[in-house]
Amino acid sequence: MNYFEEEEYTQTKFDVKVWQRLFAYMKPLKKDVLIALSAAIMLALADVAYPLLNLYGIDTIIASGDLRYLPLFIGGYVLFMILISSMVVTFIIFAGKVQNYLAYYLREHAFKRLQELPFSYYDRTPVGWIMARMTSDSRNLSDILSWGLIDLTWGGLMMIGLIVAMFVINVKLALIALTSLPALIFLSIYFRTRILKAFRQIRKQNSKITGAFNEGIGGAKTTKTLVLEESNFDDFERLTRKMRDHSIRAAIFAGLYFPSIIFVSSIATALIFYYGGMDVSSGAITVGVLYVFIVYVAQFFEPVMQLANILARFQQAQASGERILSLIDTVPDIQDSPEVLERYGTMESPKKENWEPLHGQVTFENVTFKYHKGETVLKTFNLSVRAGEAIALVGHTGAGKSTIVNLICRFYEPSEGRILIDGKDYKDRSIGWLHESLGYVLQSPQLFSGTIRENIRYGRLNASDEEVEQAAQMVEADRFIDSFEKGYDTQVGEGGARLSVGQKQLISFARALIANPRILILDEATSSVDTETEKSIQKAIRTVMEGRTTFIIAHRLSTITQADRILVLDQGIVIEEGTHHELIRRGGHYHTLYMNQFKRRQIDLSMQNT
Amino acid sequence: MKQINRFTKWMKGSFHLYLGGLFIIFLLQYFRTLPPLFVQHIIDYVFGVEPSNLPGFMQRWLLADTVQQQLILVAVVSVLFTLIRVVMIFAQRVLLAKFTEQVAYGLRNTLYKHLQNLSYHYHTNAETGDLIQRVTTDVDTYRMFVGEQFVEVARMTFLLIFASYQMLQMNVTMTFISLIIAPIIFTIAFVYFMNVKRIFTEVEEAEGKMTTTLQEGVTGIRVVKAFGNERHEIEKFRNDSEIFRNQSYRLVKLMAFFWGGTDALIFAQYALTASFGIYFVVQGTLGTGQFIAFLALLGLIVWPIRQLGRIIGDFGKTVVALKRIDEIMDQSSEHEGDSDFAPTLQGNITFEGVSFHFEDDPNHLLKNISFDVKAGETVAIIGRTGSGKSTLISLLIRLLEHQEGRILIDGHPIETINKKALRKQIGLILQEPFLYSKTVAENIRIMHREADQQTIHSAARLARLHDDIVNFEEGYETLVGERGVTLSGGQKQRLAIARMLLKDKPVLVFDDSLSAVDTETDRQIREALSDTWRDTTVFIITHRITTAMEADRIIVIDQGQVVQQGSHDELIKAEGLYQSLWEIQSQVMDETLKEGEDA
Repeated sequence: MNYFEEEEYTQTKFDVKVWQRLFAYMKPLKKDVLIALSAAIMLALADVAYPLLNLYGIDTIIASGDLRYLPLFIGGYVLFMILISSMVVTFIIFAGKVQNYLAYYLREHAFKRLQELPFSYYDRTPVGWIMARMTSDSRNLSDILSWGLIDLTWGGLMMIGLIVAMFVINVKLALIALTSLPALIFLSIYFRTRILKAFRQIRKQNSKITGAFNEGIGGAKTTKTLVLEESNFDDFERLTRKMRDHSIRAAIFAGLYFPSIIFVSSIATALIFYYGGMDVSSGAITVGVLYVFIVYVAQFFEPVMQLANILARFQQAQASGERILSLIDTVPDIQDSPEVLERYGTMESPKKENWEPLHGQVTFENVTFKYHKGETVLKTFNLSVRAGEAIALVGHTGAGKSTIVNLICRFYEPSEGRILIDGKDYKDRSIGWLHESLGYVLQSPQLFSGTIRENIRYGRLNASDEEVEQAAQMVEADRFIDSFEKGYDTQVGEGGARLSVGQKQLISFARALIANPRILILDEATSSVDTETEKSIQKAIRTVMEGRTTFIIAHRLSTITQADRILVLDQGIVIEEGTHHELIRRGGHYHTLYMNQFKRRQIDLSMQNT
Repeated sequence: MKQINRFTKWMKGSFHLYLGGLFIIFLLQYFRTLPPLFVQHIIDYVFGVEPSNLPGFMQRWLLADTVQQQLILVAVVSVLFTLIRVVMIFAQRVLLAKFTEQVAYGLRNTLYKHLQNLSYHYHTNAETGDLIQRVTTDVDTYRMFVGEQFVEVARMTFLLIFASYQMLQMNVTMTFISLIIAPIIFTIAFVYFMNVKRIFTEVEEAEGKMTTTLQEGVTGIRVVKAFGNERHEIEKFRNDSEIFRNQSYRLVKLMAFFWGGTDALIFAQYALTASFGIYFVVQGTLGTGQFIAFLALLGLIVWPIRQLGRIIGDFGKTVVALKRIDEIMDQSSEHEGDSDFAPTLQGNITFEGVSFHFEDDPNHLLKNISFDVKAGETVAIIGRTGSGKSTLISLLIRLLEHQEGRILIDGHPIETINKKALRKQIGLILQEPFLYSKTVAENIRIMHREADQQTIHSAARLARLHDDIVNFEEGYETLVGERGVTLSGGQKQRLAIARMLLKDKPVLVFDDSLSAVDTETDRQIREALSDTWRDTTVFIITHRITTAMEADRIIVIDQGQVVQQGSHDELIKAEGLYQSLWEIQSQVMDETLKEGEDA
């Protein structure tokens, strides 16, 4: 099955290695785990000992009728009250600490790894999968390793405690009471996994329903125009019907489990009624002992149910653990070599003092590039670009434009051949060194939640407010920014949702400008914006390009004409090369492409902007 | 009354299941108070000389001569009695689950159906995220209320009543002593959970912020890497993750003191009952068995009572959720009171002085539009972005309703024709078509599910999509949409055309629907289609002059009005918008040639 298939229920075997590694993440929390576990142990012991206090009350005070012992009895209760409530507070606080800190550690590790992973990882991994690992899996795992572990200890110890206490008090009654144990265990194991499985199916069904709602709302216009209301509803009704039936089935399972436990435990109680009662009447045991056994038998099924539940959840959590570890274990296939790390430092602590200045000369030397699947995109590609030169890449979708750009950015590395920057193989320098001098303006501008100021500053994190505003002015973004009530401190919303496409583009230009990169990548937008913004964008492009090595994936004629050199690509090969005028005159591929694509765009634009 | 109706209106239909379930719960709570009395019976009655507190009918079954026989009877009766109880528990659970799931099923279906029937205007203005929240989370909140919270409150109330009753039967003073702390626990729980809600919200917000940072750090990875800001992102995430951790931990600490504190109170209650109980037993006013029964009955009610406080503190949530659901349901369906008239259309379309504006905006998007289209004609509607071209088409299929003038189809005023019948016969191909998360084949046959493979393939061929599809790993069985392959804009547009090709329609509208397809393919498709659609009335909405010029007639729209009408040849001669657009195009052509010469 697909690696990314979610939540398939697998009856996995207990894998010691996974748990060993997960426990390693708990090392810094060792003290807290121990405190929580001690509290759980104390609680379990208190739970077992508590009925004995009443045993004392019944057999000593009531039997003797001597009220002098009553204060001692009350004192015992006060002691239990303090002990139990303080242990409850302790164990919740420390288990809670372990849970929250562990989740935090897991997320931190995974996120760090995510930032290190190269582009190709994101190409083949759905965002949803990553999000699920980071949120629900880390939560599941930290839950089970904190509360689960503590409940396990409490439940296990309580069972042992109850058994020991029963045997100490009366071996015969203990044996009778324990006859119910095998049945309780069997029922719990039988039902627990089935109930969990049923609930998992419900969750799966539920997410399908959410998806269907999403589609119903997002596709409303299409649905209306195609008149698909009825058939959509039929599809939807099938989902909800399944959901209902699964839910009822789960309720039946759950509804069988609990009553069957009650029934088994009532048989044990009845046996105690009879045998204990007979012993009381013969004087072999006291009324207090009978009382304690009745209480113990009733107490018994709680830890059994608890344990069954936790064991089933551990099984589920193992799957979560495996998935998170698989994320953390993914080795970035683009990494600095040990020698490079030695000289230039790591991402965490770069040794910038050793970084050479970057001028921006870029050379492709017999570069071949294949994607993971093995499809060759570039073949022995050669290109030499002077520092400060502007190169426009044109060609159909799939011609290799994006690949070239991604290779320059070292988002990918050549499968064969070398890429030189300032005459040096870029693998001999650190990734950080390149990225610090790189500017990137994306087709669909990606902003981050926060203010406009923060977003512009993203280009260079130590830029001053003046520099931010200056950059905005240079690309004429200040016009719309100033029109906002809060100016540069306006929140852009998630992914920049509160701004228009054009505004986002201008901000991404300012962001690139403030980075003052030596190499600029410009992936031009195809979407059209209003006249005013379009003019600003054209101007911004000119401003940003000035004095930098620029690679443009261009869609606008006005942008292309500004390039020093145009490369026409087809299936990873440069088929034509030259300036706009040269290429037009040649009347070859560029001419055709130009007539078909750029000219058409130009007309469309003029259509919108007249 | 209105509030109650808000809660109950979704329960209609299978309410008897609920009543049945609640009635069984009522009986069960009585039964639950009996086991402690079996113990009392054995200790006080079998061994002692005091009366049994078991109900009379049960005492009668337990009459026997010897202690041994009596014990056997108690054991057997208690097991049989538990058997009945167990069966009832099961029955009650199944009844309630059936009822609850039926209610949720009905509610979900009603909402889905209703959402689909809400007007186009509603959908364009609605926030998807918020709507989804309402139809999923809010529905779940209500389901939990019906299936769990309300049932729990009923159960607790019945249990309290019966436990108090059994206690009172045994000893009035002891009853008061045993119930003295319960109201305090309930009040504390209620007040605590009312107040802790705020902190829950804070934790949720912190988590939301962290998730956003995470999501942006993942989807924006290209920008992060290009600017070398990995460290910054890690810092940012660590910071958000830390805030969430601290908030959530703070909540846990608060919870710890609540649970620990109420545990102390519960033990205080036990201490009171046990101490006074022993005192009364020694005094002789209470049986030993009664003492034990008191402890057991107390155990039944004292633990759940703090849950009760929590649940009642949470009721407000359900009220809010139902209000939000009702806000959707209060919107009226666009098919309400629609005509039943469903003629087979020929495709003659007349606009007579049609004007349109949105209700909340007095600016007319279309003003006094008039034109006449004969069946089989191909008409291009050209205009700038925002000129009103698409609004015009929305009026034609009644996604929007015009206010002034008349729109006639084959002479019938459009509002007399059933909306769905109208839309079924006017094929609209959108610029940004929506694909359903089904396979490519299923998406093509979406309107005609019975279509066979051959029909589907030939439609895909006509739309120049077939070659793309066979290149997919799973061909026609490739899943598209949210959970599958993302198609390019051009592929989506071609699929939208293919699905329109399965059956002839009298009227077809291309709403800029080949904008993402390259010029060559665009031409090929239109040539192929012109053969298929010889008798069809075709509207081509475009701002691409090269597309418009091939139509029989061109209608030029500007600022909501028809400014020019005629064939391409006529229009380029007449002074006006069309001519100036045409000139821009020629100019670009000239420039090209000139640049070629200059270089």
